[in-house]
Amino acid sequence: VSGVNAHRWNDDDILFADLAEALGDVAPLAARVAAHAHGALAWRTVDSDLVLASLSFDSLLERSGNTRDGEGDDRVLVFHAAPLAVEVEVQTDRIVGQIVPPSEGEITLETVDGTRVQVDADDLGFFILPRPAASAARMRCETLTTRLVTDWFQL
Amino acid sequence: MADDELPITSLVMAAAQGNEAAWSEIVERYSPLLVSVLRQCQLTPVEIDDVAQTVWLRLVEHLTKLREARALPMWIITTGRREAWRHAAIGRRYQLRDPEAGDWAHGPADQADPDEELLRAERQHALLAGLAELGRRDRQLLLLLMDDPPMRYAEISRRTGIPVGGIGPTRARALDKLRRSPAIRAVLASESDCPEPMAQAEG
Repeated sequence: VSGVNAHRWNDDDILFADLAEALGDVAPLAARVAAHAHGALAWRTVDSDLVLASLSFDSLLERSGNTRDGEGDDRVLVFHAAPLAVEVEVQTDRIVGQIVPPSEGEITLETVDGTRVQVDADDLGFFILPRPAASAARMRCETLTTRLVTDWFQL
Repeated sequence: MADDELPITSLVMAAAQGNEAAWSEIVERYSPLLVSVLRQCQLTPVEIDDVAQTVWLRLVEHLTKLREARALPMWIITTGRREAWRHAAIGRRYQLRDPEAGDWAHGPADQADPDEELLRAERQHALLAGLAELGRRDRQLLLLLMDDPPMRYAEISRRTGIPVGGIGPTRARALDKLRRSPAIRAVLASESDCPEPMAQAEG
């Protein structure tokens, strides 16, 4: 089979064969991925007052791919939910962040493994979290005026 | 008939309300598309597992933001690619990736021509997105017909409730719906303007 030929998809048998090939290529992995995803809905946020802060900047996606990063050049992530943003720098063993505009608050880091760590942000909005071992995490941030949860991000 | 309705819109709405069965059906339907996207980004099977997890977690929080369920396949493709790229960049950065480990889903070696490979991937994504959108009965029938080794018509009939004599016509109608799905129409439209890039297929 030389591959998928869209211009011949008017023929039922060719369309079917191409579909079977496309699915066959991914079926075992897809079954595993789906099985692992069934529980994900449990992470759904039901609290309607909670604002979702989307990942609006990731320094990983801004640089050219092949530069070898030096020290002091840690990955920077910004999560935005107007009027607030949470900026973090992911370092080797910790995550250093700030609430912007600067504000006192409480930050909770939760991982897909179920671990939770809570720390205070000082009056300038600064906070430090231990870097978790999990592959994905998100943060909750609570200030006097706003409560937000960030997008999930890979670590 | 409920079987013939586009199920995705109601699945997305139900999952957004916390309906687990609807969520499971969404991930069953769209995991092949997501895996196909991540494989195209040359992730290993283990990496695909990790990245897919992040994509699904994201989707859980974005269900209510998807204005149109029709936007779901494009959302999966875009988010999958971006997270795959992020994952690769994290790997480069911390050098966790061991090139000696092998286990590549798609080694660079089997990419003959990048343009052709891209076209091929787009067609695969269109087929899988189209399949994901089919009504329950059509989709189930096509999946059973693709079983390897082939399933006997009597057994397919027992499982689907379609009489043996109706399987052929139902297959033809299902394939026609597949052909008219937005994803496949888009591919056919884009390729009807330009000739096949490489070798001509023999008649």
